[in-house]
Amino acid sequence: MKQSLKMALMATSLVLAPVSGFADTADGEALNAMSWDEIVELARGGEVNWFLWGGSDNINQYVTEYIGGRLMDEYGVTLNRVGLSDTVEAVNIVLGEKESGVMDAGSVDMIWINGENFRTMKQGGLAYCGYTDVLPNNAFVDWDNPAIANDFGVPVEGCEVPWSKAQFAFAYDTARTEVPPKSIGELITWVEENPGRFTYPAPPDFNGSVFVRHVFYHAAGGVDSLLGDFDQAKYDEVAAKTWDILNAMEPHLWREGQTYPASISAMEQLFANSEVDLTFNYEPAGVGLNIENGVFPPTTQGYGLTDGTIGNTNYTIIPFNSPNKAAALVLQNLLLSGEAQYEKARPAVWGAAPAIEVARTSDAVQADFATIVAHPNVVPAAELAKAALPELQASWISAIEKGWLENVGQ
Amino acid sequence: MRSFRVLTGAVLITWLVLPLIPLAIWSFARGWFYPDLLPKTWTLRAWDYAMSDTAGVLDSLWLTIWISVAATVLSILVGVPAGRALGMYKFRGKEIVELMILAPTIVPGIAVVLGIHSVFISLGLNNTVSGVILVHLIPTLPYMVLVMSGIFANYDPAYEAQARSLGASPLKTFWYVTLPAIRPGIIVGGLFAFLVSWSQYILTLLIGGGRVETLPLLLFNFATAGRNDITGAIGMIYILPGILILLLTAKHLSGRSGAVGGFGQI
Repeated sequence: MKQSLKMALMATSLVLAPVSGFADTADGEALNAMSWDEIVELARGGEVNWFLWGGSDNINQYVTEYIGGRLMDEYGVTLNRVGLSDTVEAVNIVLGEKESGVMDAGSVDMIWINGENFRTMKQGGLAYCGYTDVLPNNAFVDWDNPAIANDFGVPVEGCEVPWSKAQFAFAYDTARTEVPPKSIGELITWVEENPGRFTYPAPPDFNGSVFVRHVFYHAAGGVDSLLGDFDQAKYDEVAAKTWDILNAMEPHLWREGQTYPASISAMEQLFANSEVDLTFNYEPAGVGLNIENGVFPPTTQGYGLTDGTIGNTNYTIIPFNSPNKAAALVLQNLLLSGEAQYEKARPAVWGAAPAIEVARTSDAVQADFATIVAHPNVVPAAELAKAALPELQASWISAIEKGWLENVGQ
Repeated sequence: MRSFRVLTGAVLITWLVLPLIPLAIWSFARGWFYPDLLPKTWTLRAWDYAMSDTAGVLDSLWLTIWISVAATVLSILVGVPAGRALGMYKFRGKEIVELMILAPTIVPGIAVVLGIHSVFISLGLNNTVSGVILVHLIPTLPYMVLVMSGIFANYDPAYEAQARSLGASPLKTFWYVTLPAIRPGIIVGGLFAFLVSWSQYILTLLIGGGRVETLPLLLFNFATAGRNDITGAIGMIYILPGILILLLTAKHLSGRSGAVGGFGQI
């Protein structure tokens, strides 16, 4: 019985071996050496499982209907969008697979990612790297821009491809607040004068964490001295000032700072229900979508800070054990195309700022981009970009998050 | 006594139904802000999205029903003999077996799910519907076994002996004597199993690898994102099977039912 089973297995593997050797879309090294046309041919008829945050119907529709439709029509590739509540869930799947020795048959083909999750993937050897030059539309990406070449201070080094840019912005309700605070310094006095009308999500929430970093930059008197590798002495000095500011602010926060919202969506609900007067988000276009979707009152207005706000880039990454790397590359190339980036930038679709250099795209695409009229309540990306601040390296960020929990969150 | 029962019913209905009303209203609202008592703008947009192919809610609904029904049937197949053994017999190491069966209700799922994931990968069961059904047995079995052992603790095997002595085959004995006696327990335990499987999130996500998209997965996407309108629409669809099953089995859940009477006697 055992013998015959073994024979059957061997026979099966003999039959399968030549086929899988011929079209192994899991072998990243081999793909990196191929021409683009060969990769497209390999991808044809396949599928790609893209894991991304699934909490917005607009984004889901853009991905499934527009991107999925084009992927099928032009390349015969089936896009399977897997919605996540938190990106770390996908990272954990890949991590679990690696620990169990699943090296070329993983379940995740692509993840929408940045920051801490990218660091985990890169440091853990969970990313497929070195393929960016293979993508024809990589020519639109300005890799000389440090804000593109570094993901929260971690060098990208060909392990992911940019998708959108975002820059932190505040928002207020013009029906409730006449003049919102336009800098972190003004905000500190504003909170004191308007007790109970401000709060922020507790770090390590993505948005709460970036708010605390704005205060950190303010306490440091500018970001310049914080760039580069983690500096314990510098951190201790600035952190002490930051915790002083935030602890002094605490009794004037919503519910006297006894508790903080656990997530940005919890804070957005507080804002929508007039419990607090200010909100913020790393994705400034969110104000427009939230108004259209009835989450925010239509009198909500986004705005930037005079002393600048922090910007980031978000990316798509292909796990090392994706069995459908060719299809994932085709998908990434499509996402980088001028047409797909334009569609994504339309306020009615999403309003996300392009991660490509529009000036490098075709005249037709440039003309399309020129027609975009930003949502009137969203602060234009160009205006925000006038006062943009860089992100810190991930080691700084985790130290600040930990410090907040120990010194303020307690 | 009668008025007491009416009162209890009223309290229960208030308790269970009232929280659902805002959910239902939200699913038809476009913006609903304090201090408005009702939304100013009504729309079917959330339902349009929930019913669209992009959202995949209907596919998810059938898949979730299939998984929960399968997990319930398997729970019954395993839980009835296990409950009989635990409820009727004394044997060495019984306490340990009881503890092992109850463990999944005590140990938080998040603590063991990564370990379970790697076991399922090595068995080749990850990313499959059968893997998800199987992993749902971990949280559903304790309820099934607990209810069945309660039933069997009050069960007199002499009836079976009588049927056998009158010439009934083992199968006939089971069908005509044992099954009617334990049926309330199977219904109540099955209801528990179904609802526990119905609400699984983290086990489904990890073992299903995102490929097995049940309704809770879709629901959490929007609930965590603060989209009350779409959460409301998917939520209304999500609670339907539970309510339906509850209505069908309601009479077995009253205090006079044997399934409840024997509870906790293992």
